[in-house]
Amino acid sequence: MNSIESLRLMMLIRAFETALAKRPDHGFQLLSSGEEAVAVGLSAALTDKDQLLTGGRSIGPALARGAEPGAVMAELLGRVAGPNRGRGGRGHMADPESGFFGAHAVVGGNISIAAGVALAKQMAGDGGIVAVLFGDGACGAGVLHETLNISACWRLPLLFICNNNQLSVSTARTAALAPAKLSDLGAAFGMWTRTVDGLDVACVAAAATEAAGHVREGRGPAFLECVSVRLLSHSTTARETRSRATLTELRAQCPIRRQVAYLQSSGYLEIAQAEALEREAADRVAEAMAFADASPYPEASEVLDHVG
Amino acid sequence: MSADHGVASTKIYFREANVRALREEMRQNPRVLILGQDVGAFGGSYREFDGLYREFGAARVRDTPVAEAASIGIGVGAAASGFRPLVCITYMDFLMLGFDPLINYAAKLRYKTGGLLTAPVVVKTTAGAFGQGVAHSQCLEAWLMSVPGLKVVAPSTPADAYGLMKTALRSDGPVVYIDHKRLFPIPGEVPDAETFIPFGQAVVRKPGSDVTVATHGFMVRIALEAALILEGEGVSAEVIDLRSLAPLDINTVAQSVSKTGALVTLEEGQTTCGVGAEVAARLYECMGMRPWARIGALPAPVSSNPVLEAATIPDAARVVTAIHLLLGQ
Repeated sequence: MNSIESLRLMMLIRAFETALAKRPDHGFQLLSSGEEAVAVGLSAALTDKDQLLTGGRSIGPALARGAEPGAVMAELLGRVAGPNRGRGGRGHMADPESGFFGAHAVVGGNISIAAGVALAKQMAGDGGIVAVLFGDGACGAGVLHETLNISACWRLPLLFICNNNQLSVSTARTAALAPAKLSDLGAAFGMWTRTVDGLDVACVAAAATEAAGHVREGRGPAFLECVSVRLLSHSTTARETRSRATLTELRAQCPIRRQVAYLQSSGYLEIAQAEALEREAADRVAEAMAFADASPYPEASEVLDHVG
Repeated sequence: MSADHGVASTKIYFREANVRALREEMRQNPRVLILGQDVGAFGGSYREFDGLYREFGAARVRDTPVAEAASIGIGVGAAASGFRPLVCITYMDFLMLGFDPLINYAAKLRYKTGGLLTAPVVVKTTAGAFGQGVAHSQCLEAWLMSVPGLKVVAPSTPADAYGLMKTALRSDGPVVYIDHKRLFPIPGEVPDAETFIPFGQAVVRKPGSDVTVATHGFMVRIALEAALILEGEGVSAEVIDLRSLAPLDINTVAQSVSKTGALVTLEEGQTTCGVGAEVAARLYECMGMRPWARIGALPAPVSSNPVLEAATIPDAARVVTAIHLLLGQ
């Protein structure tokens, strides 16, 4: 993935989530403004054989993996054209065909599931790896520690990616988690670990590619921490707890703005091109929205389908 | 080997029934795996995996650390990716450590993905009082019965242990399979031919005409013991072994109660929101109110103290007394 492509994808995610949040019928969403570089950088390291699992902040990662924006929008709005007929929603959507095995909205919940998917890959010998993306909030959960241990013992092809946006709803990472670096959690189990600037998409992509290479070679799991920022409140219904001044300061760190500035200053991107990319993102989102709107809700009579 | 009603069978223990079902399924399907604490060379806490490690190796019979949540999660994740893992949780009391992957993920996976993914995992565990104290003795199956998408079975004979395990290992959704510790020393005849016992089919263990006792697991033996005492007192009790709690076979219970006119539910777990309460409620939904008594553990934890343990869980004398009271005798 080249640097323009990364920018295109980050812009798509931002435009997609912004348009979604504007809909009165958007329901309950966790958005990823400020965290796009983590999803996009990680995806640059993954192949068609790989699977990604995430927590509930799943929209950006699913789009970054290549899930169809129209289908994702349909899923989020509860329409049958979603990959899960609108039943999973943001918290639980799954599109394994696109390499997005799925979200599980219980914090930390998908980490052990991902290790099981990795065990299946190891036993099947299909050459693929599994990445599991979780927030700093999940680093306090016991199942992470259990899974780090087992996956290290079994040398599972599993890449732990912590998107450390430094806040768990309102609780600061510094107040909740003792390790100096969250990647130290992986170091305790002898893993390849690194902490990188999660606002720099090229930096995330380079580190994720190195980590994925390590995992792919059968050298056991790796733990990559990407330090990002959350530009919005925890969810579309959660109160914002930070001051306006803090938020203004954070917005200046926006990974998309940063990538645009970098590309312009390096001469890779004209201002007009950047504007064209933004328009392109807006157009793709409008198409996705139209696709979702054309799809109906499921019939109430389907409620007992696929229970067990 | 013996022949009962012309069906060739062999007398074996529960643990041997578990081993046989697993061995057959593991030979037939290379994607069947076992995960759990001490399941490998040690052969399982109750030797219920004896010899499987030797035959199938460390990759398919995997010892896990003490990490119930991750072990169930890994089993579920592997199941969602096309394998058929059995995860052994030594005591049912520890099952709650893994409720997130089991209940929030596996039981809902087919539903939430619109049928795209399923989690064919079997969680095998043991329930019941056997002198091990308040956190190693519980029967929590009623908690599980209310989870849509989860199947729950509890054999009372080695033949059912074998046949229900076989069915569990071919089932397309998560199954919790519950052995009872006090059943392990009791052998029983198991058909020599490969047999599957379908889920959702109760069985009449002893026919009777005056009262129906619906129960499961080790309590089937207590019910049969009580029925024998009652027989001497001129009361004929029909004993139904539910075997499968979810799905629940209410028709067999209803047919029996329409004949006997009265229902006693018996379980080793708590009666509040218990298996018996559910059996009675569903029965009344389909045939109207009938006289009913429920028997279960007293509302107290199950202590390792032998006097208190015995005082907490039901025995045949309690069942006999309850039936006399119900029948107005």
